[in-house]
Amino acid sequence: MVAISLLHSYRDDTHEHALAAALHAAGIDVDIVCSSDVLPEIREYERTATTVAESYLRPGVARYLSRLGERLRAKGYPTLSVMTSSGGMRAAGEAAKSAAALALSGPAGGVAGAAYVARLAGFPNALTIDIGGTSADAGIVLDGEPLTEGGGEVAGVPIALPRVLVETVSAGGGSIGWMDDGGALRVGPRSAGATPGPAAFGRGGTEATVTDAQIVLGTLTARTIGIVSLDAAAAHAAVGRLATKLGVTPERAARAMVQSADAAMARALRRVSVERGIDPRRCALVAFGGGGPLHACALADHLGVRTVLVPPFAGVLSALGLAIAPERRDALASVMRRAHELTQADTRELDAVLAARATGGAHRDDARATQRWLRARYVGQGHELEMPFSPGEEGASLITRFAAEHEKRMGFTLEREIEVVGARIAVSGAAREPKLAAPHFADETRRGPAVIALADATLFVPDGWSARALPIGGYLVERNA
Amino acid sequence: MSKTVVSSSASDTIDILEFEVMGHAWSAIAEEMGSVLVRGSLSPNIRERRDASAALFDAGGRMVAQAAHIPVHLGAMPEAVRAVRERSPKPGDVFILNDPYAGGSHLPDLTLVEAVELDGEIVGYAAVRAHHADVGGMSPGSMPQGATELVQEGLILPPVLLSRDGVMRDDMLAVILANVRTPDERRGDLRAQLAACAAGAHGLRTLIAREGRERVAASGRALIDYTARRAHAAVRALGPRAGRATDTLEGDGDTDAPVTVSVALHVQGDRLVLNFDGTSPQVRGNVNCPLAVTRAAAVFVLRTLLPDDVPTNDGIARAIDIIAEPGCAVNARWPAAVAAGNVEMSQRITDTIFLALANAELDVPAQGQGTMNNVTFGGDGWTFYETLGGGQGASSRGAGPSAVHVGMSNTRNTPIESLEWAYPIRIEEYAIRRGSGGPGENAGGDGVVRRYRALEPCTVTLLTERRRRAPAGAAGGGNGALGRNLLNGRELPSKCRVQLVAGDVLTIETPGGGGWGRM
Repeated sequence: MVAISLLHSYRDDTHEHALAAALHAAGIDVDIVCSSDVLPEIREYERTATTVAESYLRPGVARYLSRLGERLRAKGYPTLSVMTSSGGMRAAGEAAKSAAALALSGPAGGVAGAAYVARLAGFPNALTIDIGGTSADAGIVLDGEPLTEGGGEVAGVPIALPRVLVETVSAGGGSIGWMDDGGALRVGPRSAGATPGPAAFGRGGTEATVTDAQIVLGTLTARTIGIVSLDAAAAHAAVGRLATKLGVTPERAARAMVQSADAAMARALRRVSVERGIDPRRCALVAFGGGGPLHACALADHLGVRTVLVPPFAGVLSALGLAIAPERRDALASVMRRAHELTQADTRELDAVLAARATGGAHRDDARATQRWLRARYVGQGHELEMPFSPGEEGASLITRFAAEHEKRMGFTLEREIEVVGARIAVSGAAREPKLAAPHFADETRRGPAVIALADATLFVPDGWSARALPIGGYLVERNA
Repeated sequence: MSKTVVSSSASDTIDILEFEVMGHAWSAIAEEMGSVLVRGSLSPNIRERRDASAALFDAGGRMVAQAAHIPVHLGAMPEAVRAVRERSPKPGDVFILNDPYAGGSHLPDLTLVEAVELDGEIVGYAAVRAHHADVGGMSPGSMPQGATELVQEGLILPPVLLSRDGVMRDDMLAVILANVRTPDERRGDLRAQLAACAAGAHGLRTLIAREGRERVAASGRALIDYTARRAHAAVRALGPRAGRATDTLEGDGDTDAPVTVSVALHVQGDRLVLNFDGTSPQVRGNVNCPLAVTRAAAVFVLRTLLPDDVPTNDGIARAIDIIAEPGCAVNARWPAAVAAGNVEMSQRITDTIFLALANAELDVPAQGQGTMNNVTFGGDGWTFYETLGGGQGASSRGAGPSAVHVGMSNTRNTPIESLEWAYPIRIEEYAIRRGSGGPGENAGGDGVVRRYRALEPCTVTLLTERRRRAPAGAAGGGNGALGRNLLNGRELPSKCRVQLVAGDVLTIETPGGGGWGRM
């Protein structure tokens, strides 16, 4: 593999492609990746790092996906598709050619699933939190869609392709509580993980985890957690040891451990919302993953959110996300023009260029939805705001909408020209939208405090909250008026 | 060690169990302030390199949380809030300042302090400091070489009212903008700074609405006390010891005479005492610094000895005593010029304290590049300032990293594409300077080479160090390579101001870090 990244290729890709052709002509018979094809955006470091990641990942991903596809075919499964970081599905063969676009796909499925359930329940704007054993992923859904933006990174390497926004914090059920050198209680970032796991799981864990704390508080029991061999005594012993060190009762230590984990997760939820000018109080909170429904109401209280949605299949919502996500192709283009210069013809042409890049030039019958965004800034700024645009929209309208967006997110506007830096498109196929229905739906409301055992998670409804079962499965939990 | 911070009533008691919860809450607000500033600002120095800091203070003016971007701002922000409080701000007022002798560091660092209002009272302070691309004075970029008085370095702002009752004082803004070279950009950056303060004020009010005023106040005190306990414990763990070190700056920008920094370090129980007797008196050139910068350097050194999980706040400084004669180069008095003191003297103070720790037989790294390599371009209607990374010193634990900021600087680099898009400069080379790290069992990190071609006539100001006296190796390791400044291949002094015509090529080679241990 060869990765080529030349300065300013986001504006003019001639030299990169000439270099690639020359390498081929010189008999260098390897796959060549040009940065202008991977990420046509200003800032050489991020573009180069993303291009290098693409060329590093591509051979391995291609090999793996092709082997996996063959084995599935041999067993009679349908064609393999893969979720991308932007939350859409791609046929495996196609996905292998944009390997870097898969790097952050892990948590994307969960947010896609949460977006779907939130839409069904009538909440177009929602915060999402996926709480697992070692970490929690916070995301956000706006107008029924997971928020996508650039700027992700993996292990310190920027991969600046569009991705479903997710902020990860090291706080989960396995996070270990400990007393630091200053005598304060801390939770995480160390986690007991799956092995040895929480003390209560009886796999050799001896340190107090957040899950053990939940057992001490009675919010988790063998019945709710669905583990027959739950060792509650071990949980009490582990939390008790920590409590002795701290000089408090086990119950107080346990409560503080849960609150500390909540604070870390609430901070991630604030980051995805407040830093984007979105008031969390205007959103519902969709809580999933094994631990989501346990922490949900406390997190909502932190953020001033009054509505919590616990989806059906809360423990495996990511799988639902994978099942419903439509095919999706993303493409980017550099613009670097003043907004006031853009004419109707310009934005139409920009749309055509983006659409051609996304679909490889072919007209696709299955394209059902197209979303387009511009990235713009006041001249002189280094960060761009993203906003939707439509083909045929002209400069004056973009300027008005940019100013409104800047006011909303940053709290001020400037008397300065606006520069459109880049644009992107997402072309999606038909969404697969299965009907969800609770198998044994009963219209019931439970007032907190209550612990409700779900199939694959536990819902804790604190005092002051009420949970109503939903016909689609799951619960709507609301703060009492 | 007390486990509970007991105070007058039960409701304002924060204990060790709630500590982390409240720590998250305060830090999240400071982070949000930083985010608004970096995203909204115009100076490349703020938006790309993040030469900026945001901090949140309690009603008593104690710093509780800081979005740590830049070490040189670490211990210095509380001075700014103290200076504003001396002016008896009304609730909701926003003050601006840059006077190094009244809460500031050097003139390009404009600091805004908002007295956060709730129910007609001040419940805390939000402070945002950012290095602006120009604040007037004798040379574009306001990082002059050869200044001998503060007044030559730019517009001086003692703490003055910028906004009251949410209304900007246009007359004050007009005075500021009339005294700078790029008023539009300044106006934009100040708007971003105001918005960042507002974000901090909003965040603090929201936190109080949820947790109650007493609890928030108590948590602020508890967080600071906690950090102080950790800082004291870390100092005590060093054991009783003493060390002395002397190092120099190679000229004050006015003459080439060396400027001496001397420090005697004593660990006295749980206090770190730094006595700067023997340091040169303040000099004519602008490498002097106010005591706030010296304290920041000392806080930075102690911060490196603390575990990462200790929150950064006023508590660190409590474990440090600084003795510095008023009128010496590290406790300068008006009207001494200071532009380079913040960037270069602060580096040397850090170097010297580390050297004193080494002489006190502690295992510390070899010296790093020991300079920020300040490069300022100014042309018709534009100014551009950046600092360059270099070699980090090696330590007993491994080689020094290459091409990084060392010590009191923590900025990113300016992307070449952003720079070339905005200014008439072309970067012809940006590379790791191979072989410049000092040899040793563990090699020092390499510096960088950055080569600029001017596409228009412009003025360049260089404030650099370690061009004559190399970063020292440790434990028998070799010195790092000297840095070099070249104009069209001709060597320039470490501090100078030169006129470039279109086509001229400026090359900066930054120093390598010292090696550690014999080969």
